[in-house]
Amino acid sequence: MNMSFEFLRVFSYWDVLLNGLGITLLFTIGAAIVGTLLGFVISLMRVAPSRFIKWPARLYVEFFRGTPMLIQLFWIFFCLPLILGQDIPPYVSVMLSMVLFMAAITSETFRGSLKSISGEQHDACVALGLNFRVKAINVIFPQALLRSIPPLMSNVVSLFKESALISSVGIADLMFVSSNISSSTGRPVEFLTAAAVIYFVVAFPATRLVDLIEKRFLIRFA
Amino acid sequence: MNYTFDFSVLLGNFGPLFEGLQTTLLLALGANVLGLTFGFVVCLMAMASLWFLRLPAKLFIEFFRCTPVLIQVVWFFYCVPILFNVFFDPITMGILALGLNLIAFNAEAYRAGIQAVPKEHHDACVALGLGPWNKTVHVIFPQALRNAIPVLMTNGITILQQSALVAIVAVADLMYAGKMLATDTYRPLEVFTAVAVIYFLMSLPISQVVTFLERRQDASVER
Amino acid sequence: MNTEENINEQKAENAIKHQGFLGSKPLVEFKGVTKRFGDTCVMDEMDLQMREDDRLVIIGPSGSGKSTLLRVLMGLEPIDKGEIHFDSKPYVSVDSKGRTQTDLATRSKVGMVFQHYTLFPHLSVLGNMTLSPVKVHGMGRSEAEDRAREYLGRLGMEDKLNSYPGKLSGGQKQRVAIARALMLEPKLMLFDEVTSALDPEMVAEIEKVMLDLAKQKMAMMIVTHDMYFAKKIATESVFIAGGKVVEKCDPEIMFNEPKEERTKDFLNKVLHLK
Ligand SMILES: Nc1ncnc2c1ncn2[C@@H]1O[C@H](COP(=O)(O)OP(=O)(O)OP(=O)(O)O)[C@@H](O)[C@H]1O
Ligand SMILES: [Mg+2]
Repeated sequence: MNMSFEFLRVFSYWDVLLNGLGITLLFTIGAAIVGTLLGFVISLMRVAPSRFIKWPARLYVEFFRGTPMLIQLFWIFFCLPLILGQDIPPYVSVMLSMVLFMAAITSETFRGSLKSISGEQHDACVALGLNFRVKAINVIFPQALLRSIPPLMSNVVSLFKESALISSVGIADLMFVSSNISSSTGRPVEFLTAAAVIYFVVAFPATRLVDLIEKRFLIRFA
Repeated sequence: MNYTFDFSVLLGNFGPLFEGLQTTLLLALGANVLGLTFGFVVCLMAMASLWFLRLPAKLFIEFFRCTPVLIQVVWFFYCVPILFNVFFDPITMGILALGLNLIAFNAEAYRAGIQAVPKEHHDACVALGLGPWNKTVHVIFPQALRNAIPVLMTNGITILQQSALVAIVAVADLMYAGKMLATDTYRPLEVFTAVAVIYFLMSLPISQVVTFLERRQDASVER
Repeated sequence: MNTEENINEQKAENAIKHQGFLGSKPLVEFKGVTKRFGDTCVMDEMDLQMREDDRLVIIGPSGSGKSTLLRVLMGLEPIDKGEIHFDSKPYVSVDSKGRTQTDLATRSKVGMVFQHYTLFPHLSVLGNMTLSPVKVHGMGRSEAEDRAREYLGRLGMEDKLNSYPGKLSGGQKQRVAIARALMLEPKLMLFDEVTSALDPEMVAEIEKVMLDLAKQKMAMMIVTHDMYFAKKIATESVFIAGGKVVEKCDPEIMFNEPKEERTKDFLNKVLHLK
């Protein structure tokens, strides 16, 4: 290795990189909130009694979990405007694709925790004479929600990582700015590494937090 | 909706898509071979009692699990040649980049599988007079593997999907072929839909098997 | 001990009733109840009666359908044939399409305690106890809380009112589960191996609670593997096997000189294991 690296140069682009991170976080958090709500609705649709509600929901989830997010993004970015016959601003189509991705994985999370509530709990509800409404609102949902917290947070971390894809349609997120700087300065090692480290610095503590919540906090209530 | 579909573009251009599909399958297969084998090695290292084995393995796992695959792929394609002065053909590079990611995720899957073996089984081995080797090979690993298989398969499909990212660094996989075709024919709707369906059809059978296995394991746990 | 005396007294009283000196109403009547799981017939045209303020202990080999019997009575399992009367009124029956009909008003007069406590982990002890009275039975919150406090007090657990189930010991959880079932003032309590998951010291704790309930003349149906406790608490005992009631008699007779061969075999096995 006879190369010299100038990692210090990264610091002169600090604000640009941070701006990129800001965009990444903005899209991640926005899509996480909307996607979680949508995912919750989808999970309820999937346990609905009517198959006209159940099957479209199932197809949607399977399709979004069974295709690369990149193609989803491209499809919404390039194809949806053609179908609607109307331009869609890039940030809208990007947001839409992240929301749909998040909703698909999150609906599975909710469905899993709904299913994980043991049969004995359902028996206890009968023995206590609880009607369907009280059982759902006071017994099943709160537990399912509590149990969903750790996997839900993991989903947000996944979304954060997947969000790097939006750079490929020109959104100026962390991935986009770092690869731009690395090609304009001709220093990919410094800037790509810096970007990777920034992603890591955000995601790693988040995954630790998930573990912590799972082990310390939820064990008492779920 | 006033768009007129013209799926005939697909028929005339199936060749490039098919070549791309072969590359995608090669990438996924290669990455899975790396992931299943070295993932196990890294898992053992991460669980070792010697810190100089454990620490690097853990760092490796956490780093690959906590950064976007896209940056891993881009980094690998741009930085490895500069840093190590080595050049491979794009497909090998792709397999290595995706493989490293899968190694990290599979190592974690193996670890979870091993830890899911009940503590009583370790005690039972002691009670039965099985030494560490016999215990590990005949009691712990078989169960751990059984626990891990659904996750390993899910990770396998995930890497198939993530392999689409190599299109961004111009490896001619299915995604890349689709992108090219969409631009050449001005028919993104038909082409991208077809590409999405192809990816979906590839992962569908495996995800059905995973669902089946998980259901069976759930049922056996209940007993 | 005071409790013991009281119980013996009551047993004597029940024995008299049994011989028809004091007429007492039947509380539960199984009439030809059949229950199948696929091909296995767990209850085969079973007939069984239980009188008011009886304490009926159900014994039988593992897999003989003791839990199923209680679950059917709780309305947790549909049946295939027959009917159940509660308090001389139809309670569970099978309609012409083979569907099980359960009278919900009657069902709320039956309470049940399970082997694994089944407290709701996300609710405090108080929340667990007041959920059904407040949300379903329209009791005022403060009234429900007062009652919960009183019941917990009787079980020596006022200080755990605001604890979460995850922080309680097995015995404490089971006491809360019993108190939770009592909140609705049921006419009949069902206990399915409620001490099986507990450490021995806690077993005694729960058994004491159940003996206290017996003293208050609560009607109970109890499934247990503890024959000594069964003998102590029962006013009536039944041995079931092969989907049928094999023998039903006074516990003194059942545990000392059972008539049926199968009962003898079973009791020999379990009592000698002890
Ligand atoms: N949900 C179910 N599905 C299928 N079979 C069942 C189900 N529940 C119980 N059984 C079967 O019914 C029979 C009676 O079961 P039950 O649990 O009532 O027995 P038990 O007398 O309570 O046994 P134990 O003493 O072991 O608790 C068993 O053969 C059991 O396998
Ligand atoms: Mg049982």
